[in-house]
Amino acid sequence: MAAPLPKRIIKETERLQNEPVPGISALPHDDNARYFDVMVEGPGGSCYEGGVFNLELFLPDDYPMTAPKIRFLTRIYHPNIDRLGRICLDVLKNNWSPALQIRTILLSIQALLGAPNPEDPLNEAVAKQWKENQAEAIKTAREWTALYATAKK
Amino acid sequence: MQRLEARRGVEEQHFLARRARSHSYNPPVDLRLVDYVSSYDPNLMCPICRCPFVDPVVLAECGHCFCRECIRQSWNTQTTTYTPHGPHGDCPSCRTPARLRPRSTTNNILINMTDELIVRCPKSDEGCKAEVKRGEVQDHVNIYCGFTLVECGADHCELPVRRKDVAQGCLHYGVSCLSCRKELDKCNLDCHWRNDCPARQTECAVCKSMVFPRDLAEHSSTACAAISVPCPGAALGCSNRSTGAQARTHADTCMLAKLAPILTTQHERLEEQEAAQKQMSRKLEVLEDGFTTIQSILSPFSSDNMVDKLGTDPAPGPRPTDLPGPYSADFDLDAPASFSAPNTSAGPYASPLHHLLHMHESLRDEISRISSALSELDGRHSMQNLNENLRTREEISYIGAQLGGLQRQVHWLTSAQLHRQQAGRSPTPGSATSAGTAITDATSGAGVEAALGAVNTAATALRGAARMVNVGGREASGMRRGASEEGRTKL
Ligand SMILES: [Zn+2]
Ligand SMILES: [Zn+2]
Ligand SMILES: [Zn+2]
Ligand SMILES: [Zn+2]
Ligand SMILES: [Zn+2]
Ligand SMILES: [Zn+2]
Ligand SMILES: [Zn+2]
Repeated sequence: MAAPLPKRIIKETERLQNEPVPGISALPHDDNARYFDVMVEGPGGSCYEGGVFNLELFLPDDYPMTAPKIRFLTRIYHPNIDRLGRICLDVLKNNWSPALQIRTILLSIQALLGAPNPEDPLNEAVAKQWKENQAEAIKTAREWTALYATAKK
Repeated sequence: MQRLEARRGVEEQHFLARRARSHSYNPPVDLRLVDYVSSYDPNLMCPICRCPFVDPVVLAECGHCFCRECIRQSWNTQTTTYTPHGPHGDCPSCRTPARLRPRSTTNNILINMTDELIVRCPKSDEGCKAEVKRGEVQDHVNIYCGFTLVECGADHCELPVRRKDVAQGCLHYGVSCLSCRKELDKCNLDCHWRNDCPARQTECAVCKSMVFPRDLAEHSSTACAAISVPCPGAALGCSNRSTGAQARTHADTCMLAKLAPILTTQHERLEEQEAAQKQMSRKLEVLEDGFTTIQSILSPFSSDNMVDKLGTDPAPGPRPTDLPGPYSADFDLDAPASFSAPNTSAGPYASPLHHLLHMHESLRDEISRISSALSELDGRHSMQNLNENLRTREEISYIGAQLGGLQRQVHWLTSAQLHRQQAGRSPTPGSATSAGTAITDATSGAGVEAALGAVNTAATALRGAARMVNVGGREASGMRRGASEEGRTKL
């Protein structure tokens, strides 16, 4: 690796370990400090409650000037998350600011789970269902959460 | 005179070459990579690089502060095109559009505060123990630090050497480490001995035994004889703490220490089971939900059950046996004979009045259920109707568009025909062939005109149909709504 790991990444990683955000954990890989295994718990009171969702997060070389790349690994029924786990969130795209951090991004993702936005969909089929029959959609999301996002032992 | 010039030139070149070399040995200190000795106020931290500000600038538009380099980089990656006014973009903290002016305001207090922070010399991992103010760290490295690389003082040797070793003459000769036999330059021996030598042992500060530096951490946590460790059964209540060999003998005799591993496996299994149970209960919940919805869908068809249930349920009205004297007397005026009727499932009603009341209640329930079903049906129908309507309307508009196209085409054809007719008539009116064509033209023109008329009528008919469909849909839904309203008022 040519450039040393920026202090900022080291500091963010340390802070994530020492003062973790409740319901969120992010662990860097041993062999690549820019690659994180992330776990986000579904927010209480939402249809993802009780689920534990795995994500992968990668900090590009020009982070923090560009947003981190982040993707859901666990399947999830959500209008703003597509089948490949990509997330439609403004702060990950045009509204990224270098003053944002990994923890703020993960908090926004948790908030997105609590408040799905079918008006700005990434997954058209889910968004359609969400708009036309919200009760049914929430039920499906619950079932998926129980099916895919519950700890398997 | 000329020779003097030439010599000065050579000297100058020599000097510049030396300076370039020493620069490549010692790149300028990156203030974002140095270690800060003491903690600092978080307000001095740049939101972008999360270090104390380096060359801070304050954005005039919103007052937020960043390192000059940080804000410039963040704006370079954004899609900003070049402007003569310098870099500009949105403030990373508040998204106010801002601009970096050639001499953007810098806060002197801020510069002083960040320059006063005490940092460790960047050569600290090579052995420099100096801790200096951040504003002076570059001077320390350039002028004072004994670990800065400078050119070897010996003649014709251009290799770098640490400043503190310059006086010892040229140290660029091979030696081998006494402990590990590794071959290396004399000037690097110190550093190797302190950090890397794999064969060197240090003394444990507590038990005075010799340990390899790389094993020290493990030694002090498990093997060190002087550091006492708790009994493995501490979680079960054994309060024994002993050192080294004693701990081992205790662990052999202590019952709790023997139980501890079994208990932990049990605990793990218990947790596993609990997790599995939680998952099962969640699944059960989902299934139950599904079951209740299915039941609710089926229930309108099992009205017999409902009536049965209502029949066996205690009547909602007051029963004579429950009532205080005056009330029961009031109710039993009509049928005093049934006062003694036993409370069986066949005839729980004390009087025909109660029976009627009960019947009334159940009928009322029935009606409310039917009305809700009706309204649901109404909603479903209106939805269906709407969908159907939408589709029809779309079809009609599509046909209308096609018709319009057809109309235009026909119009164009007729006008072309008319033109040709007029053109044919005026130059050679007597010619038989032209007359023939004119006649055919005329007939075809008439045919086309007729077709146009037909198309027009078809269009109006279609429009009428569309209106009908619209009106019909509205009427139908209105009627149904009226009916359900009626049903509700009847209740
Ligand atoms: Zn900065
Ligand atoms: Zn600002
Ligand atoms: Zn130094
Ligand atoms: Zn030398
Ligand atoms: Zn050695
Ligand atoms: Zn020891
Ligand atoms: Zn013990």
